[in-house]
Amino acid sequence: MSASHKPVGWNRTKVLYDAALLAAVAGYILAYLWVGPLIQRTSLPLDEQTLAMKAYGSCAFLMLTLVLCVGPLARLDRRFLPVLYNRRHFGVITFAVAAAHALHVLGWYFAYSHLPQTEALLAADTSYGQLRGFPFIPFGIAALLVLAVLAATSHDFWLSFLTPPVWKALHMGVYAAYALVVMHTALGALQSATNPALAVVVALSVALVGGLHVAAGARERDGAVARAAEVEPGWMATTTVDAIPEDGAVVVHLPDGEPVAVFRHGGRLSAVTNLCAHQNGPLGEGRVVDGCITCPWHGFQYRLEDGCAPPPFTERIATYRLKLDGRRVLLDPRPNAPGTRVEPVPVPGAAA
Amino acid sequence: MSAHQEGRDGFFIGWSDRLPRGLGRFLLVLAVLVVGGVSLLGLALSGGVEDPGSGDFDWAAGERTLQGVLTAQPYPVLWLPPAPGRPRAHGVLLSGNGKAGVPIDPATMEGRLVEATGLMLRRGTIEMMQVKGDPTPRDPTVAPDGGSGALVAEPVPLGRWRMVGEICDGKCYAGAMRPSTGLSHRACANLCLIGGIPPVFVSAGAIEGTSFFLMADKDGRRLPDGVRDLVALRVQLEGEVERRGDLLVFKVDLDRARVL
Ligand code: FES
Repeated sequence: MSASHKPVGWNRTKVLYDAALLAAVAGYILAYLWVGPLIQRTSLPLDEQTLAMKAYGSCAFLMLTLVLCVGPLARLDRRFLPVLYNRRHFGVITFAVAAAHALHVLGWYFAYSHLPQTEALLAADTSYGQLRGFPFIPFGIAALLVLAVLAATSHDFWLSFLTPPVWKALHMGVYAAYALVVMHTALGALQSATNPALAVVVALSVALVGGLHVAAGARERDGAVARAAEVEPGWMATTTVDAIPEDGAVVVHLPDGEPVAVFRHGGRLSAVTNLCAHQNGPLGEGRVVDGCITCPWHGFQYRLEDGCAPPPFTERIATYRLKLDGRRVLLDPRPNAPGTRVEPVPVPGAAA
Repeated sequence: MSAHQEGRDGFFIGWSDRLPRGLGRFLLVLAVLVVGGVSLLGLALSGGVEDPGSGDFDWAAGERTLQGVLTAQPYPVLWLPPAPGRPRAHGVLLSGNGKAGVPIDPATMEGRLVEATGLMLRRGTIEMMQVKGDPTPRDPTVAPDGGSGALVAEPVPLGRWRMVGEICDGKCYAGAMRPSTGLSHRACANLCLIGGIPPVFVSAGAIEGTSFFLMADKDGRRLPDGVRDLVALRVQLEGEVERRGDLLVFKVDLDRARVL
């Protein structure tokens, strides 16, 4: 168990992750700013500032697209889970790239005027009464503000300060940011594009994000997920013993929508909430490792019998009572207080 | 933690330094594909940028001093006398530094012979001077043509036209920014117009060989602020066109303007 006692700070995985991420950003920006001009067919080169606006803006859009693909990809293929592991750094770097775009715009289009920049931002484009030429910059500003809030609250301090459910809900704001960025691009850059390349990239990106979410949603519906139905007072039928893989789980949705993960380990069954105490990660998609439920997102661990993280960690999750009716697994839908011990239920005929 | 368990089903645990078998290679391939793929995409998008045109500051000539007659309406223009190979008076549009026009009081400066110093911007036949300081009046009696009247030729009406094109700010269009057209550049163009830079119309077709017009309202005066709703869009405009020297002025009837 020693490995799990390492504080989750910087580790080799995160260093490699960030290195790959920064290499991709640098590859894109350098290709755009340094190599691209060699093949551009223009009378004179574009302003460096304008080229930088385009490079950082499109880079931020692509990064948001990719970061939104990570969640469903990891659902569809577990090999993508490592990409999810350090998603927060991905988000913060995306914000930095978007901010670089905004600073280049401010320092070029909104500079050299007698109006102060903030006033210029408000005064320069006020055509709210028309569709063609509707101001697109406010969408970009709004998206940048959302990303700023997400980046600023990405640290674990905010996670525990806000509590995981609130933090998770706040960070769903990334979808709002993406919608705003798509509008910003569609009403702005796409309107003045002289070739369809950017429009194709934007359309494919939106289709990719949407398609992956639909596919992951469909997988979740027909995957290891069951719906609970009451069969006797206080007990709900969930799944069968045989549907639960050894050291894995079946996720059960209670009528009130609460997801519960029913795990099988060493021939015994245990049920806990499906929501990880860290960032609400899907515990039921995790594995039992060293006798502990291990979250697929960042590897937080909980004991099967009481939902407590092994010392020195202190996280606790809610447990549930189980009983068997033949091969059927019955669940008491009332959660126990986090950390409550519930004796695992032996599966008849299973080797311990 | 046993390697056996860690490797099972490729289950990845971020804080563990050991990756499940096969996953390391998968992630390496993924990283190489992503880094290579986005670099190629960056190159492709950059390679396909629009042609911003040939406008630029004439850095080679440096600061120049020109003498000519100043007119303030609709926007400040310095008229240079005809010269060999240039049968008509040549209108040089004037701007200040940055996104500012040249502040000129028509009551005292209209039609006067002045000297102006600054950097030239050029795009095709369009010339603009970014004037340093203010144009300085010179005694009218030493006008190069003996009097300003002949220099600023009477406007020649070229009829009423309906044209499709884009309203731009004259300075960015002449070469202060590349690119200087299109919706992305709209806020910048509007800030230039707010600052007093002359607006120009760049038409899809040409009149008398030119597709570039200095703009005015239908009475030949400065355009109202409302024109900013039309800037940087494909618009259809209607109005009288007249020639002054070698400049065409488009006196736009804004009530009939349409965004396409
Ligand atoms: S959500 Fe982060 S470890 Fe579970």
